[in-house]
Amino acid sequence: MIVIAGQPNAGKTSLFNALTGSNRNVGNYPGVTVERREGKYRFEGKRYDVVDLPGTYSLSSFSPEERVAQKELLDHTADVVVVVVDSTALTRSLVLLAQVIHLGANTVLALNMSDEAHAAGQFLDLDLMEELLGCPVVETEAHKRVGAQKLKSVIARAAEQPGEPRPPVLGERLSKALMSIESMLANTSVKHEQRSWVACKLLLSDREFTPLVESQGEGGFEAVAQAAVLRKQIEEQTGEDISVFVAERYHGFAHGLVTETIQQRPRDDARVLSDAVDRVLVHRVLGLPFFLAVMYAIFWVTFTVGEYPMGWIENGFAFLADLVSANWPDSTAPELRSLVLDGVIAGVGGVVVFLPNIVLLFFGLALLEDTGYMARAAFLMDRLMHRFGLHGKSFLPMLTGFGCTVPGIMATRTLENERDRLVTMLVLPLMSCGARLPIWMLLVPAFFAPSMRAPMLGAIYLFGVILALSLALLLRKTVLSGEEAPFVMELPPYRVPTLRAMLIKMMERSWLYVRKAGTVILGISILMWFVTSYPKADARDIDQQIAADQVTHQEGRDSIAATLNLKESFAGRLGVAIEPVFKPLGFDWKLVTGMIGSFAAKEVFVAQMGIVHSLGESGGRSESLREDLARNYSSLAGASLILFLLIATPCMATVAVTRRESGKWKWAALQFFGLTVLAYIISLVVYQGGLLLGFG
Amino acid sequence: MAKKNRDQEIKLSASLEDYLETILQLTRAKPVARIKDIARARDVKAGSVSAAMKRLESLGLIRYERNEYIELTVEGARRAQKVLSRHLVLTSFFEEILDMPADEAEEEACAMEHHLSDAAMDKFVRFFEFLRTCPGAPSNFLELFHGCRRLDGEAECGFHCSDPACIDDEWQKNRTTINALEHGQEGTIMHVGTAPAIRQRLLDMGILPGVKVNMERRAPGGDPVWIRIEGYQLSLRREEAEGVAVEV
Repeated sequence: MIVIAGQPNAGKTSLFNALTGSNRNVGNYPGVTVERREGKYRFEGKRYDVVDLPGTYSLSSFSPEERVAQKELLDHTADVVVVVVDSTALTRSLVLLAQVIHLGANTVLALNMSDEAHAAGQFLDLDLMEELLGCPVVETEAHKRVGAQKLKSVIARAAEQPGEPRPPVLGERLSKALMSIESMLANTSVKHEQRSWVACKLLLSDREFTPLVESQGEGGFEAVAQAAVLRKQIEEQTGEDISVFVAERYHGFAHGLVTETIQQRPRDDARVLSDAVDRVLVHRVLGLPFFLAVMYAIFWVTFTVGEYPMGWIENGFAFLADLVSANWPDSTAPELRSLVLDGVIAGVGGVVVFLPNIVLLFFGLALLEDTGYMARAAFLMDRLMHRFGLHGKSFLPMLTGFGCTVPGIMATRTLENERDRLVTMLVLPLMSCGARLPIWMLLVPAFFAPSMRAPMLGAIYLFGVILALSLALLLRKTVLSGEEAPFVMELPPYRVPTLRAMLIKMMERSWLYVRKAGTVILGISILMWFVTSYPKADARDIDQQIAADQVTHQEGRDSIAATLNLKESFAGRLGVAIEPVFKPLGFDWKLVTGMIGSFAAKEVFVAQMGIVHSLGESGGRSESLREDLARNYSSLAGASLILFLLIATPCMATVAVTRRESGKWKWAALQFFGLTVLAYIISLVVYQGGLLLGFG
Repeated sequence: MAKKNRDQEIKLSASLEDYLETILQLTRAKPVARIKDIARARDVKAGSVSAAMKRLESLGLIRYERNEYIELTVEGARRAQKVLSRHLVLTSFFEEILDMPADEAEEEACAMEHHLSDAAMDKFVRFFEFLRTCPGAPSNFLELFHGCRRLDGEAECGFHCSDPACIDDEWQKNRTTINALEHGQEGTIMHVGTAPAIRQRLLDMGILPGVKVNMERRAPGGDPVWIRIEGYQLSLRREEAEGVAVEV
C-alpha cells in the first residue's frame, strides 16, 4: 500500500488524481468526519493501492485530521509513504517530511509545484538532497500530471527495495533525550523503528501517546517518567517550552536541508502578481463587495442556469411515468404499479432533479478552492462568523446549505475543531435549501400580494440566516462551549486551476450526494409512499362522497378518491390525531399531513398539498392550488406555516447525514427535536400575536 | 592540583567550617574568642562547642587550651576566610541579584557555602566584576528584573506586563505583538504565548522565535490579520496575533 502525506495546499490530492486516474473511492475514516480517499493503479504489471491522507501541517494530535494521519502512518504498515511538499514554501513543507522520516516510514519525497518554483527562480540540488535524506526525491507538477510516471517508477523501486532514510538531525540535546527514553521503550510493544517518534511524543507529553505507553506496564511507566524528567531538564536548560524546543529542532532540520541543497534562491518578487491581485480582491473596502458579487455569481449560475437541466430531468421523469402508466394497465397488479410510479420513479426523480444545482454549486466551490480565493473569503468572513461563535470556514458549508443541507453538512469537514463543526452542522438546516424553494414558490404567491412576494422571499432567507447565527451563538455559549480552534490559515498564492482537477472534485462530491443522500431519500420515499397510501379508504365511502358532491367527470372522482385515501392513510390519521397540537399555530390536519410528508423531502409538501386539496395534480405552479390555499387559510396562517416549514424538522436525509457526520444519534436528535420545538414556539408566537393584533 | 590535594587532606564537615567562620568573625570584633561567645553566636550548648574545638585543634586549625581563649592557626584562618568569602558572595547574590529578604539570603548562603567549588566561586566573582565594571552592561536590568511580576506568577509574560517597573521607554518601544504591527512593518518573533492547541498550530506553521514577520493587511474591521513569514502568507485572528510578541 502507498500512502500519500502532505500539508494542505501542497497539491496532495492532485498528485493522488495523477497517480490513480479515475480509480478512486471517497469515504470516511471510522468514527470521525475526516474524508478518506482510496484508489489504485497498475504499474509494470503490478497493482498499487493508494491512500490519500488528510492534509496536515504536522503530525501532532490536536485535530482529527492530524490524529487520523498519524494513526494511519503508525498502525498500517504502508510500503511506501510519499510526502508531497510545496516547492514554493519548502522549509515549512519539509517539516512534515522530517516527521514522517522520524516516524520510521519508507519515504519518497515529491517536490510538487516544481514548475512554479522554477519560474520563481528556485533550483535545488536533487542528488545532494537524496543523499542527505537517504530517500528518493522526485520533482512533480501534479496538476499537469508531469512527473507522475517518474514517481510511479520510483515508488515501485522503493516498494521493492526500501531505502534507508537517515534519521532527521535534531540536535544533540534532543537526540540524547530521545535515545534515553527510547531505551526504556525496549520492553514495550512499540515497534523498533517507531520508538524514537514515540519517545518524542512522550517528551511532548502528548495526550494520546502518554496513556497508551503507560498501559504497557513497567517499561511504559519508566519511559513516561523519564520523559517528564528530561522535559523539565530541557526546559530549564534552554529556557524554552518543550513544544517550542522540539518544533524548532524540526524546523532547523528543514531549514538546514534547504540551505544545503539550494543552488539558486527564488526571487523575492515571485508573488508580485498574486500580491497585486490581493491588493484589490482583499482590499479593506472593496474586498467585501467583491466577495458578495462572487457569491451572487455562483448562486446565479447554480439556480438560474441549473433550471434548464432541471426542467429536462423533470420532463424526462414525467415521460417515463407516462410511459409506464400507458403500458401498464390499471388492472394488473395495481399495488405494484403504484409503488413503481409513486414510490420509485417519484423517489429517484426527487433525488436526481437536484443534481444540476448540486453539480453547478460544487463546480463553483471547486473553482473558488482551486484558485485560492476560498481562503481569502474565509479571511474576509471570519470576523463576522467568529462573532457568532463560528469559524471563517463555516461560511462555506452554510453557503452550500442554500443549495442542499446534505452536502452542506458534508462540507463541514473542512472545519478543524469538533465543536465548530458540530455547531455549523446543527444550525445548517436553517439555511433555506433548494428543496424548500418549490414550497416558497407555492406559498408566497398564495398568501401575499404581488408587490410583497419578492421582499417576502428575501425575508425568508434572511430570517433563516439570522436564526442560524443566533442559534450558533447560543450553542457556543451552552452545550458546545469551550476552546475555539485557531484561525491560523495559509493564504496560498493565486493559481490558475485546471479544468480536470475541478471536474474531478465536482464529480466526487456530486457522486457522494447521489450515493449517500440519494439512497436515503429513495428509501424514505418508498416508506412515505407506503404511509401515505395505506390503508386505503373504503370504496363505498368514496362512492358516497362522489354522490354527495354530485361529481360526474372522471377527474373529479379521482381527486375525491385521492383525498379520502390520504385521509385514511397512516399519515393522514396521524395528521388528524395531532391536529389539536397544531391548531394554535393555525394549521389543520391537511397541512399537518403535508408536513409529515415533507419529512421525506421538503418539496414533497407541495405534492401532498395537491393531493389533500383534491386537485390530484402536483405541479407547484398550479394556480388553482394556490387559489385553494388562499381561500382556506389566512395570510397569517400562511406566514406561520412558512416559518414552521423553514425552521422545523430537517428532512430525513439531513437527519441521517447529521447522524453519520457527527458520529452520534445524540446530535441528530438534538437537531431534529430542537429545531422542531423552536419552530413551534416561533410559529405560535407569530400566529397568536398576529391574532391579538387583529391580523388574519 | 596541589591546592586540591591540600583541601582533601583536611576535609571538614559543614559544621566544623561554620565554627571556623564564627571564630574568624569573633576574633575580628574582639581580639579573642571564648567558648561561651561561640556557643552564643551559633546558638548551641557549650559542651558541643568544646567537642568541636577539640576536633579542630587536633586538625591543627586552632590553638585551644581548656578554659582559655581560642585562636586560629594560619591554616585555620585561611580555611575560615575561604568559607567566609563564599558566604559573603552568596549572600549578596541572593539579596542583591535575586532580591531575597536578608534573613533568607543568609540562610541560603549558609547552606551553600560549604559546597561551592573554587571554579563556581570564581564564576560568581567574575559575574559581580562584570556588573560593576562593564560599561556595556545595562544599568537598569536589575530593577526591571525585580519589578517583573511574572516571577511571582502574576502575569503570563513580560510583554503584556503592565507593571510600571517594566515600562522603560526604549525597551517598550522595540517590543510589541504581531497584532500591533502596522501595515508593511516587519518584526522578529520573540515569544509565542497562547493556549497550547493554538500555540502548537502556530509553531507548526513556522511561527517560531527568531523568524521575521511582516504585516500585510487586515480584514475589514481589523480582524483577522494577514501576515507574511519567510515567503508565505498566513492569516491569524487578532487574539492569536496578540499572543505573539515581536521585536521591531
